[in-house]
Amino acid sequence: MRRSLGLILPILLLVGWEIAAIVIDNPFILPPLETVIPVLLHPFEDILGTGSLFYNAFVSLTRVGFGFLVAVSIAVPLGIGMGWSRTIDALLDTTIQLLRPIPPLAWGPLAIAWFAIGIYSMGFIIFLGAFFPVLLNTIDGVKSVKRTWVEVAQTLGASERQVLHRVVLPGAAPTIWTGLRVGFGVAWMCVVAAEWLPGTTSGLGYLTLYAYNFGQMNIIIAGMITIGIIGIAFDLFFRSVEDRWFRWRGLER
Amino acid sequence: MNGMKYLLLGCLAALLLAAACTAPQETGDVAIVYTKGTGPMPTLLATKQIDGYIAWQPFVEVAPVAKIGKVIAYSGALPPDARWENHPCCVLAARTDLMGRNPALVNDLGAVTILATQYITDHPDESAEIVADWLAGKGNFTYGNVTVSSVDVLNRAFPTVKFVNEPTEEWMNGQVEFIYALRELKALTGSLANSSDSESRALLFDTGPYTQAMSMIEAGSFAIPEPEDKPVGVGYLLSDHDASLFVAVKKWQYFNDTYGIALKPQDEKATRPDTVDLLVKGQKVATLKLIPGDAGPQLMQLAATDTAQFAYVGNPPAISAIDKGTPVKILMALNTEGSGVVVTTDSPATDWDSFVKWAKERSAAGKPIRMAAPGKGSIQDVMLRYALEESGLSVQEVQA
Repeated sequence: MRRSLGLILPILLLVGWEIAAIVIDNPFILPPLETVIPVLLHPFEDILGTGSLFYNAFVSLTRVGFGFLVAVSIAVPLGIGMGWSRTIDALLDTTIQLLRPIPPLAWGPLAIAWFAIGIYSMGFIIFLGAFFPVLLNTIDGVKSVKRTWVEVAQTLGASERQVLHRVVLPGAAPTIWTGLRVGFGVAWMCVVAAEWLPGTTSGLGYLTLYAYNFGQMNIIIAGMITIGIIGIAFDLFFRSVEDRWFRWRGLER
Repeated sequence: MNGMKYLLLGCLAALLLAAACTAPQETGDVAIVYTKGTGPMPTLLATKQIDGYIAWQPFVEVAPVAKIGKVIAYSGALPPDARWENHPCCVLAARTDLMGRNPALVNDLGAVTILATQYITDHPDESAEIVADWLAGKGNFTYGNVTVSSVDVLNRAFPTVKFVNEPTEEWMNGQVEFIYALRELKALTGSLANSSDSESRALLFDTGPYTQAMSMIEAGSFAIPEPEDKPVGVGYLLSDHDASLFVAVKKWQYFNDTYGIALKPQDEKATRPDTVDLLVKGQKVATLKLIPGDAGPQLMQLAATDTAQFAYVGNPPAISAIDKGTPVKILMALNTEGSGVVVTTDSPATDWDSFVKWAKERSAAGKPIRMAAPGKGSIQDVMLRYALEESGLSVQEVQA
């Protein structure tokens, strides 16, 4: 029931789009759906010599997966440290708050100079997108573990290591997971910025840029829709895990 | 009510009078919009945000094919009279450290480029098809309601581009002219800001590789380059102006069999191969990484950071980079001409003179026409500015 409610608006949007396209009658302002849908319906067909939608989506996902995993493997331990230790937090917080507002796109020129053309510079841009949401949520998750839980464990004779493993980590897990979900979403958004770096020759972001160079509005829109669909698919995955494993957060308190 | 009408009429008369006084028919303004490349131009034209544009091929042909505009002049015919005939356009540039370290490699790439240019001259139709394949996988372009084959667009565009390599005196002088134009735009701040013409030429050019390449072609034997530690980067533009590179790679078998030198793609099935081997007498002697760029400045940035050692690029970006101290030299031409001016279909202009008349009328009416150019200081920008000023129109940049 909830799912079908959520579908109403997209369908209305599509209908509204088609009507608006007919009324405006200028495909350069709003291309009619019939120029976009064929592109989406042939995901395995080559587009402007840049490969198929499917291939480019796969390439983009690999890049985002790489940047995201690196971000997680640094941000989660760092976040646990900052959430747990006031000293580490005091040491790093200013720097992180300073770097956080810089849009990943602005790092493009440096990314190319430091990491050269290819997966590493693109991964760096994606890494930056995912890093901060994961880090901040991890810090928040660790900090918001109930003091009483920690104290109970300590009175029962748990070592600091045991408290971290058995109490803090599980207690913070739901918030960390939310961080991963948000982080992946931002990482996926950054794929376009990353693939606009010079020297790139594939990926959904590159495909939209390439189509833009030739003013191919229908391909740009098809690329955007594909990016949206993949984004929602991953969000559903993260949410289903959340529902399954971290339900207790809503029940407790 | 009537009073209001007279007041409005009075205002209108005053405005017309003011317009007539400040902008007599012999002069006028044209507004220029920079669109960071050619991609948005058809859309801007079709949505009436601009009245016309100047672009490189094949984007000139896009307008008539998509029925949103008409071509009023190709770049070689722009005023002043004969000033832009055979105007320089794309060039082959190389980093000086590579030229010092491995001259044979530079000469070999020069030779392949020259041979490919000869092939283009002899086989224009096939070459246009190769470019359509490289740029669009021979697929279709969709502009608004019109879908056209990229092969058709390239076939129309190709005859308006002149593919030549020789760094002639005329061509070098043409480049020096661009230095003047870029100085006027305050785009040169380094070594070329105040250089004399002969100093400029010494800074810009090294025609040695062209001469060497020509004598190797004549002798029918090509030098074996020193081995390089890593693949050599070759930046290029996704434009038919760089057709010689595309033809060299796609027809590698022909060049290998006929001349004993070729650029063989490692993945022969790829539409736009990104790794090619330089073959001399069938032996692989170097590996090149082909790096496509959207615009020249980006490619020169890659050359500055030593990511690309060669660049197939427009001459203003190369000039600007040399001015800023990037260690590159221009080796030879890739093409001359190959740009054009487009206006909307409902414009009264049919050629440059009627375009100027239209622009002056619009300026006098207080609604100067808006023209798009790919970027400030680009070849197209420079030519349009010269041509407009020559025709008594002054250029106003649209600020946003």
